[in-house]
Amino acid sequence: MVIVGFGGDGIIFMTRVLAEGFYRSGHAVISTETHGMAMRGGSVISQVKIGDYQSPVIRRGEADVLLGTSVAETVRNLPYLKEGGTVITNGNQEGIHCIDASGIAQGLGNPRAGNLVLLGYALAHLSPAVSLEPFLGTVQDLSPEKFLSANVRALQEGWRMASEDL
Amino acid sequence: MGRKVLAGKVLLGNEAMARGIVEGGATVVTSYPGTPASEIMGAVNWIKKEYRLNIHTQWSINEKVAFEVALTNSYMGRRSAVMMKQVGLNVALDSLMSSAYSGVRGGFVLIAADDPGPYSSQTEQDSRYLASFAKIPAFDPSSPQEAKQMVKEAFKLSEEYEIPVMVRPTSWVCHARQGIDLCEIAEREEVPTFNKDPQRWAATPRFRYLLHKELNRKIREIAAANNPQPISTPQGAPLAVIASGVPYGYARDVLKAMGWQERVALYKVDLPFPLGSAIDELVQIHPQTLILEEPHSVMELQIRGREKVRGRLDATIPSEGELTPDIVARSMATILGQEVSDREELPEGGRKPSLCPGCPHRAAFWALRKTLPDGIYPSDIGCYTLGLNLKAVDTCLCMGASISQAAGLYHSFKQAGGEVPPIVATIGDSTFFHAGVPGLINSVHQGACFVLLILDNGTVAMTGGQPTPAWDGPGRRIRIEEIAQGCGVDFIRTVDPYDIPLLTQCLRDGDHYARVEGKGVAVIISRHPCLIYGQRDEKGVEGAVIIGDECDLCGLCTKGFECPALQKGPQGGPVIVKDLCANCGVCLSVCPQGAIKRG
Repeated sequence: MVIVGFGGDGIIFMTRVLAEGFYRSGHAVISTETHGMAMRGGSVISQVKIGDYQSPVIRRGEADVLLGTSVAETVRNLPYLKEGGTVITNGNQEGIHCIDASGIAQGLGNPRAGNLVLLGYALAHLSPAVSLEPFLGTVQDLSPEKFLSANVRALQEGWRMASEDL
Repeated sequence: MGRKVLAGKVLLGNEAMARGIVEGGATVVTSYPGTPASEIMGAVNWIKKEYRLNIHTQWSINEKVAFEVALTNSYMGRRSAVMMKQVGLNVALDSLMSSAYSGVRGGFVLIAADDPGPYSSQTEQDSRYLASFAKIPAFDPSSPQEAKQMVKEAFKLSEEYEIPVMVRPTSWVCHARQGIDLCEIAEREEVPTFNKDPQRWAATPRFRYLLHKELNRKIREIAAANNPQPISTPQGAPLAVIASGVPYGYARDVLKAMGWQERVALYKVDLPFPLGSAIDELVQIHPQTLILEEPHSVMELQIRGREKVRGRLDATIPSEGELTPDIVARSMATILGQEVSDREELPEGGRKPSLCPGCPHRAAFWALRKTLPDGIYPSDIGCYTLGLNLKAVDTCLCMGASISQAAGLYHSFKQAGGEVPPIVATIGDSTFFHAGVPGLINSVHQGACFVLLILDNGTVAMTGGQPTPAWDGPGRRIRIEEIAQGCGVDFIRTVDPYDIPLLTQCLRDGDHYARVEGKGVAVIISRHPCLIYGQRDEKGVEGAVIIGDECDLCGLCTKGFECPALQKGPQGGPVIVKDLCANCGVCLSVCPQGAIKRG
């Protein structure tokens, strides 16, 4: 899985939830994330590999899933996606699978939790291979007290929306 | 989808190495932050707290100091670790070179993290060269789990040979996450003993020669025992790959994905320096050998006969930029005479990073550009390097260089006899402590005249908000004003950069003092806490910032001031992005029409 967006969008948090959630589900997992200067609003990318891999870096054309917090970054990173792979992005644009994750998060009372709406939505697309519980547990364990309930609601809402769509 | 792991915890590579340091029984651990190594120390501190361990940890003032504090604990028979990024090791190189000769008693592990790419560094240098330069062994982990294990092995090797040992991770080890097997934390209780041995700890050149001879013996013995590990060795393989570090992972995954395991022999090297004759023997028995390592050619250069060797030296592998699975797949395919489809390149573009909304550095740079537009602005390493976007950063060489480069500019103009333009150096508080102070003393003593604007946000922000000597600590807080005074500076002003008129006045006065009167260095401390990591002072914040009808669409605020919270709206004029706006109000003094105001 490749996750793209801008520094400040919560990409590292999404990556942590994915890595920890898959690990709790009993899978081997290795992931990467962008630290340093790019975190100040620049383009950032995370990669998550689930299964028997030694390196965390994904070859272009081999990602099963591409997730983006912005349409522009998602489109720019399309070369990572394999043919027939799943792409989902926050935003609103024709020709690409968009959901208004930020808007939904705003409606839930925390505009910053769009990343988790997106994540819940994407995870539902991987069911029945994955179940929500390990990821929900991870979000509960990793969220600061202040954002705990909003984060949990955001993940659940994303999952619920996708389940209705599917 | 993979193997079931029963016990452990998902950790960042840097956290895994911290766990290795603690499990290895270190009693003194030191560091200076720098990407990609910054999170190791933070993790040591939380493990220490979680298990209530007795470990002395410190964020030192710079890498050289960190190195020497930790090293000396190892002189006394106890285990120690020091962590830094690769360019930090340049700062500590003097200590490293000499410590290889003196050696250690307790295990001493130096973690130097490299940044191929580079993503967040001035250079793509290979710290393993510095290990070979100093004649100390270097481990090269390929994953977080391995990095943790290697830290523990490094302690043992260090003790066995009484030699400092490097562990050299790269970004995709430091910033990779993986399930890590947690092992027992053995608190070690060696009593520190300083055995007075001047021929070793205070060796004069005559004894240095003997220590060098001893060092050569150690490194020969380590090399002789260093064998590449065979991972898969199919009969009659036309190609052997010998790999270390992250590129080993690429090789292993690419071979599997392409189904080439039966055609390529794969060997893994954990200790790329020092290599013995075992690698030469491998090269001899295979028709061709591809060496995969990064960022440079440390293993390749140690191979004695290179006629059948492919790698960087024969341009099979590019000499700059990070290795990728794509490059690895392509180079193997070329040697095997296989076709691989070229993968689509990522289009250029993406967004550059910028200073945060409300960042006090932006206010300071704005005032600087407005007050002294014809100036030259040597700058330094930190978040504020992003002052580039405001055209207020003209140089960025290495930690602390802004001050000496300002002096260099002054002496050059002065020597030529022409007019000296306004020169304003900008440096962050932590960088000033790290390597700026000697430059300031030298500038004052040599009569250089310029303005030094110290951007004091109270933390090491770029790397995650680590403390500076101005924080409360076990000892007393160190004030920048007192340092400047101690360096002989007579012009010292402290100002909050949100107060643009006052900062403007200070800059004018400072430039007059330095350039017009030629009196020396004028120090202005621009002090406001970092909005991410500092204590935010909400008082005095009135209504929200709004854009009034006076706006004439000049674009100065969106382009020139480049605050992420001020964006071009659908009608062409600026809009305030409420979720991003820090309500600092600095943009009120940016608009020539007075259109930006508080509602």
